[in-house]
Amino acid sequence: MELNYAVAMMLVALGLYCVIAKRNLIKMIMGLSVLTDGIHLFLISLGYRAGGTAPIVAGEMISDLQGFASRAVDPIPQALVLTSIVINVCILALALSLAVHIYRNYGTLKPSEIRRLRE
Amino acid sequence: MIPHSPILAIVLPLLGGFLSPVIGILERKHGWRRATGIFALIVMGVVCVVVGSMVTDVWAGQFIIYELGGWSPPWGINLAVDALGAQMALMIAGLGILVVLYSLSYMRDETGLGQFYALLLIVIAGMMGTVLTGDMFNFYVFLEIMSVGSYALVAFRRTPEGIEGGIKYLFIGSIGTTSILISIAMLYGLVGSLNIADIGAKLTLYSGNVPPALTLAFALFVTGVMVKVAMVPFHTWLPDALTGAPTVVSALLAGPAAVVGIYWVARLPYLPFGMPVGVILVSLGLLSMVVGVLMALVQRDFKRMLAYHVISQKGYMVLGIGLGTFGSVLGAQGGLFHLLNHSTYKCLLFMCAGAVLLQANSQKFDELGGLGKKMPVTAAMFLVGSLAISGIPPMNGFVSKYCIYLSGLELGQGWITAIAVVVSALTLASFLKAFSSVFLGQLPGRLEGVREAPRPMLISMAIMAAVCVAIGLLPAIGFNIVGPAQAAAENSVGYITHVFGENYLAAGGMMP
Repeated sequence: MELNYAVAMMLVALGLYCVIAKRNLIKMIMGLSVLTDGIHLFLISLGYRAGGTAPIVAGEMISDLQGFASRAVDPIPQALVLTSIVINVCILALALSLAVHIYRNYGTLKPSEIRRLRE
Repeated sequence: MIPHSPILAIVLPLLGGFLSPVIGILERKHGWRRATGIFALIVMGVVCVVVGSMVTDVWAGQFIIYELGGWSPPWGINLAVDALGAQMALMIAGLGILVVLYSLSYMRDETGLGQFYALLLIVIAGMMGTVLTGDMFNFYVFLEIMSVGSYALVAFRRTPEGIEGGIKYLFIGSIGTTSILISIAMLYGLVGSLNIADIGAKLTLYSGNVPPALTLAFALFVTGVMVKVAMVPFHTWLPDALTGAPTVVSALLAGPAAVVGIYWVARLPYLPFGMPVGVILVSLGLLSMVVGVLMALVQRDFKRMLAYHVISQKGYMVLGIGLGTFGSVLGAQGGLFHLLNHSTYKCLLFMCAGAVLLQANSQKFDELGGLGKKMPVTAAMFLVGSLAISGIPPMNGFVSKYCIYLSGLELGQGWITAIAVVVSALTLASFLKAFSSVFLGQLPGRLEGVREAPRPMLISMAIMAAVCVAIGLLPAIGFNIVGPAQAAAENSVGYITHVFGENYLAAGGMMP
């Protein structure tokens, strides 16, 4: 379990490093993606239970809800991660399309050379 | 109250947003002029009515809880509207309809209006959701809806400047929302709940003995909110985005989008964390006020100058709310009041800048001048807005700034008041410079043929200016709105009790 959290936080740190330190828009966008994937792993690990059952109540489980609750994994983080993945796909698609337009207009993907607004 | 109005306020603009592209296609096929814009205007009109009916109930002392799908909290998602949320929803609806009205003429020659109004309405739906929801993850989703919509809107015209501003906003904004997401995940891990009232109730158990993970979650949340509010270390996206965006979008981001950020600044000292954050708010507020106004003084671009003033004025609000956490009711009221005033006059100022940009086709101070004779109404509106932002009586900016000055003195911190007064004076200097270089002086030969702005733009500007003067002359209107809002923000026990009933808090967040 601790391994999951450690890997998740490592992904977050790597992603953040990519966004801050890389000098290419595509690499920065990849960093953003790694960053959010780290959070997704963190969220999923929160709800995981080793050897647990799927959180679906059916059949004879209805009579033993207490026992079911002690065996099932937590479904909420899974729902959260699904939502968050969809949001993340939106952001990535928008970021990549903006990067295409940046390249068309400026002929470069280096953030330091994209500075028409500063002048 | 119109039945189901909390959810209608969110769903109506969302549905309208998805219908707009269809109407845009019909508009092109059948040659109906302005059909999409008028459709968006009607949608916003209905939203205003719905929000208005909800807000009158809240002011009458009701606390509206709407359970989505009939699932009671903390299992289901609920919308919770107290007086603070009511103030914010009212402002978003009111400013939203004026922005749509203004864009009827401002965007008249653009293509892709269907997509434009779709994004505009989706952003408004996202804003509405962030201030009405009572669930942390739901808040995050609405925040992302609003943010993704505004990234796209900033780059909407695909000018190099717009795309540059848009992608900067996207990166910095995503870091901010990501840190909010980590914070929510950690909160869920610690508390096992996503309901704001439930988290608030369960965190009271930690009183005095806060685990480090909770402090980290809190710090990440504050960082995310501060990125959205654009306080000074995190402010760099705002001038770029507001300069590059179409002016309607600048007005939308400077007015209603500020509401969302300040709503959370006002909420987070009390719920769901309830941890002391006053020193951070006061210091970030002071820093932003000073840095914002100093940067604004040296700008030579009309919209960029206004954007730096947005940072400086938001500093006032955060400062006021920060002083409020030290027990100065006047400060917190002043901060929320300043939000109300700032949204009106900053929208007005951006609309004036947009009118100048549309008619004279330039936003550089060096290329403009003498437009006062050609555009007298716009010049008069700009003067009203400038006086309001500089805090000159009898405009509305004076009242709220005066509250914040008094709050500094009330707490025995005269130096805060002194800084606030000096920043106000610098704001006035900056706006005098802007007014004289745009509307006074020699008219360049290039601008001989400039005419007054079209009527829908003037109408929405006139309404804003009228609100500025009206609140300035009758501050009681404003205090009637922000007084209950401030009381509701502080009353975290009341919030929890309203959602879960009397005994919930006493039982330490366990169902009795």
